Amino acid sequence: MESIELRQVTPDAFGGRELSGSEVWQTERTFGRGEVCLVEAVSGAGKSSLCGYLYGYRKDYRGTIAFDGKDIRKWGRGEWRECRNNRLSMLFQDLRLFPELTASENIKLKNRLTHYKSKEWIRTAFERVGIADKWESPAGKLSFGQQQRVALIRALCQPFDFILLDEPVSHLDAANSRVVGELLSEEVRQRGAGLILTSIGLHPLLKYDKTLRL
Amino acid sequence: MNLIRKLLRSHLSIAQLTGFFVANLTGMVIVLLCVQVYADLRPLFGGEDGLMRNNYLIVTKKVSTLGMLSGRNSLFSPEELEEIRRQPFIKKAGVFDASRFKVAAGIAFQNIGFSTEMFFESVPDEYLDVQSPEWHFTPGGKTIPIILPRNYLDLYNFGFAQARNLPKMSEGVISLMRLDIRLSGEGRQGEFTGKIVGFSNRLNTILVPDDFIKWANQTYASHTKPASSRIILETNLSGDAEAERFLKANGYETDQEKLEAGKAVGMLNRITFVTGAVGMVICVLSVYILMLSIYLLLQKNSTKLENLLLIGYSVSQVSSPYRLLTWTLNMTVLLLSVAAVLYLRSLYIPWLTESWPDFKPVSVSGMLLTAAGLCLTVSLLNGFVIGCKIRKLS
Repeated sequence: MESIELRQVTPDAFGGRELSGSEVWQTERTFGRGEVCLVEAVSGAGKSSLCGYLYGYRKDYRGTIAFDGKDIRKWGRGEWRECRNNRLSMLFQDLRLFPELTASENIKLKNRLTHYKSKEWIRTAFERVGIADKWESPAGKLSFGQQQRVALIRALCQPFDFILLDEPVSHLDAANSRVVGELLSEEVRQRGAGLILTSIGLHPLLKYDKTLRL
Repeated sequence: MNLIRKLLRSHLSIAQLTGFFVANLTGMVIVLLCVQVYADLRPLFGGEDGLMRNNYLIVTKKVSTLGMLSGRNSLFSPEELEEIRRQPFIKKAGVFDASRFKVAAGIAFQNIGFSTEMFFESVPDEYLDVQSPEWHFTPGGKTIPIILPRNYLDLYNFGFAQARNLPKMSEGVISLMRLDIRLSGEGRQGEFTGKIVGFSNRLNTILVPDDFIKWANQTYASHTKPASSRIILETNLSGDAEAERFLKANGYETDQEKLEAGKAVGMLNRITFVTGAVGMVICVLSVYILMLSIYLLLQKNSTKLENLLLIGYSVSQVSSPYRLLTWTLNMTVLLLSVAAVLYLRSLYIPWLTESWPDFKPVSVSGMLLTAAGLCLTVSLLNGFVIGCKIRKLS
């Protein structure tokens, strides 16, 4: 997948009102593969809506979103599944981990589908982001910051052309943010993938090619 | 699949599933037992002399003192026959044709010889319950095939022979015997050989082929054909009560026992039907419990299911633990209910064999097919509902 295009997209929740100053809504916007892009927003600007539209689990918008020119509103279940397994990864703001499974089982659950990463890689990643001792802990027992790191590793356990990150390091200190940022940019660079990170306010996690106001 | 199963196992209600299991097992056992009992009992009522398949009644008019004085009253007129045939519960009606000449039959067997006057009757072949290749007569032939009522044989074997210390006779031995038959009338005489070709449960008379009676009546009797005094009816099974009312209202008499047997068959039908229906209702309700239980389970796990679908699992992958659960439950119910029915059957079969010596157990394939069909239907329905519910989440 080479591009994600937004053509005059407006969330239904905004009604018919004119949005002034948005560089994403009600305009023509293309995210290209290989681009690292920050979408900064104030609360209520539709940050999570944008992620929901792009990942296909929300459709309450007007306008057209197209992947490689194909309108995703028309996609069926099979196309989305294929896309979510091979081309598009996402780190949800609410993480969507399974609290009763251990941290490592949460990763396995995804990796079993894609067989993309080795067990060694996953262990190393746990060590790098500082949660190696949480391998066997139930995800529900981890702090939100630790859960964010588990969810990030899970998001990396698949091939992708684009990765969406919704407030990925909101609960991390500066040191941990830096480590997470390194891991993320390594993986994105390796795959030559595009990255779209949404955040409230400026986000110093990565070097961005583009910063857009939502 | 282990992780998914681990994930989706929570909220599983053992109490609800047990409820389903017990209820469905009960329902299945009732339904299957009905099917099997019905299959086992049917031949007892519906053999060659099929009360189940065909319901035959032999009807006469009441013989009354007044009728005796007025003469022809005990005969069925063509109009009366027409009226009987018009009744909706009558499939067909045939008349008995009687010999209108003198018949004398003699027999010599093991030092007992006797000769007696007798008569012959015939009915159209379609009403016969005995099949014999010898059952035909061509004018000019010298052999007359004869069918006797089975109770004549019983009367001899269990009454006469027993009392007089004579050997009992099987059907085979009797068919070897030859009767000397002498017909006379209208100044003519004829010698014939009678051969007993079978015994009828249905027709309580000495039967000869229709062709023979027609020929013999032409040859030895005056040509005026009187109306018949006995008729044979084939009724619809369900028409028994109606038939009884109709016959009573018109002053006709019939073999009451047959009507009673007909009623018994009707009762058997109704009882198995009602019991089977109750079993079906229990089954349906139990399946409903299962559906509700699974629906609740899916509802409680809906966030997890949604998340699994979002991280790239397919509907069939996500629904497989639930499908597996229902298939396991349904298969267990299937096996246990079939085992229970086979066990119960092994209890009642000896009793049936004792009560009806000629009872032959039928195969259990009908019951097995019903069981498999029900199980398959329920499992597929479960799978369909689970699939629908999960698809709604994605």
